[in-house]
Amino acid sequence: MNVQFKKGVLELCVLVLLDKQDRYGYELVQKISDQIQISEGSVYPLLRRLTKEGYFTTYLKESSEGPSRKYYALTEEGRKYLQDLLDDWERFTSGVNQLIKEGVRDE
Amino acid sequence: MNKEQFLAKLDNALKRLPSAEREDILQDFREHFEIGLGEGKNEEEIAESLGAPQQIGKEMVAAYRIEKVEETATTGNIFRAVWAVIGLGFFNLLIVLAPFVALVAFVISGWALGVSLVLNPIFYLLNVAIYPELFELYQLFFTIGLAGVGIFMIIGMYYVTRWIIKGFVRYLQFNVKMVKGGLKHA
Repeated sequence: MNVQFKKGVLELCVLVLLDKQDRYGYELVQKISDQIQISEGSVYPLLRRLTKEGYFTTYLKESSEGPSRKYYALTEEGRKYLQDLLDDWERFTSGVNQLIKEGVRDE
Repeated sequence: MNKEQFLAKLDNALKRLPSAEREDILQDFREHFEIGLGEGKNEEEIAESLGAPQQIGKEMVAAYRIEKVEETATTGNIFRAVWAVIGLGFFNLLIVLAPFVALVAFVISGWALGVSLVLNPIFYLLNVAIYPELFELYQLFFTIGLAGVGIFMIIGMYYVTRWIIKGFVRYLQFNVKMVKGGLKHA
């Protein structure tokens, strides 16, 4: 997949994963890389940026195995941003799908 | 590359950041390694999947610089942010540097024109002081009129400059978000 495209989508993936529950960094990275081929390290700059922009808050939580983990939680602002991105995504993909359908039919 | 080598390279890429910021970033990656090791992966595998520490460092630095410009838009901060975004890849060199140079040129020429218009009557009077026979009253009024235009121009440039800075910072953010990175082997 195209580089620019993937980077924008990564942001959407992270936000979607945090919609229902708080997660720690490693977990987010694994969830995404199970589905899409990414450079795993690039998720961390993204998490940092979105935290600074006020879309996430973070807290440390003890873990039964090993050291405490940094959890990310969606803020109210983050939830709104997710909704906007989802709307964009829906419009975008349905438009592309429509074009693909027409293109395939023409052949 | 093992954990220590990865962290050392990342640390090196982050050396321009304040130490608290840097330590915080490194801590996130230590945590990542810990959990990965707990799941039975080895250090080399984890480092390999994370990608190049230099590239991660660059993205971190660019994000930090932009955050600083948003807090205080000093000339130094803007230049550092532009530089950091350009460092993300060759493509950014073209799409960041070219508009930046054009905007800087526009802002400088706008201010220079405004200031020179305001100084017009002074130059005219200096000229007249040297060649008194050239003095014409209407010319003096004309230059004062130009000075008035210059004052408006300076006020206008003040707002235009602020607006350009704001707009350009958003453009940089957009760049960091959308362009280059996030792809394996990119």
